[in-house]
Amino acid sequence: MIKSVLPSAIKEYLLAFADDEHLMGQQHTEWIGIAPFLEEDMAFASIGQDELGHASMLYALILEDSSEIDAFIFNRKPEEWRSCQLVESNHRNWEEALIRHWCYDMAEDLRWELFRESSLAELVLISERALKEEKYHRQHADALVENLLTVPASKSRLMKALEEIVPEVVELFSSIPGETEAISSGLVSGKYCDVFSTWRLRVENRFGTLDPKLFTTSHHQSRIKRHSDFAPLYGRIREVFLLDPKAVW
Amino acid sequence: MRIYEVFLKADGKEEFRHAGSIEAPTDELALVLARENYARRAEGTRMWVVDRKNICVSEEGFIDANLNKSHRHNDGERVAKWRKSQRNKKSDD
Repeated sequence: MIKSVLPSAIKEYLLAFADDEHLMGQQHTEWIGIAPFLEEDMAFASIGQDELGHASMLYALILEDSSEIDAFIFNRKPEEWRSCQLVESNHRNWEEALIRHWCYDMAEDLRWELFRESSLAELVLISERALKEEKYHRQHADALVENLLTVPASKSRLMKALEEIVPEVVELFSSIPGETEAISSGLVSGKYCDVFSTWRLRVENRFGTLDPKLFTTSHHQSRIKRHSDFAPLYGRIREVFLLDPKAVW
Repeated sequence: MRIYEVFLKADGKEEFRHAGSIEAPTDELALVLARENYARRAEGTRMWVVDRKNICVSEEGFIDANLNKSHRHNDGERVAKWRKSQRNKKSDD
């Protein structure tokens, strides 16, 4: 049973999820105003805001005080982040952004499902709330992809993006710090990589059979080392904050 | 792409109201995109999206007021007055 002051291993475990959600949300919201059509740029940024909301619920749990979230996000050293390569990498083409959204959200509900019977009551509530939203994130991503796959030119662009992004997803599922402690304390019901096969099935049901090598290649960084695209991304996140770090918001 | 009209219904006895329009390639995407564009701040509890081509539109002038038929524009005032006088008459009896 976990008490309100969380052991550091558990905090590390939750931090990996919070940082993934935060950076994924940030990446999606950057499409506001430049997505292929007006309705989609609103929808994509709105979905990004949902992810930022999930991140802030997790940060609040880790920090035990939601008023510290901003300082924690804007003042952390790159090596103190626990995000994965998938959410840090700079996918600037629309097909890559869409495939990443599809891949990430097809993996995200599987991650929240692990908290359904968590020994930490707040996490059960947070996961229920997130799962409700995730259903529509998946529907959004899948309906768009399903449609675009019927157009040969779009299909070839999507498949190329998929081959680039699938190996990054392998790392998302593996090497989560504190996972052993998270399982033994009852925080989560199992290892995230145990549901990777479910994710792979979703991919191959939608896109057809892919080269098996794609599913085993991981750019293993163990979430300790940052992707080379992290620095400019973090720069964009801190851009306004750094104008006046002492400002009270 | 097709144009859809979006309707939202607030909780309770409120009726469905037109919220705006949206461009989408399929019915499913129209629903998904309308959700994020018009209902992300809990503006309603139920939503309709209608392909604009399925709306029967009247021709111009079809429902213009016919001002030469004053009996059609009765506000009920004369009837109310008459009924009131009848009631008063009854109570005087």
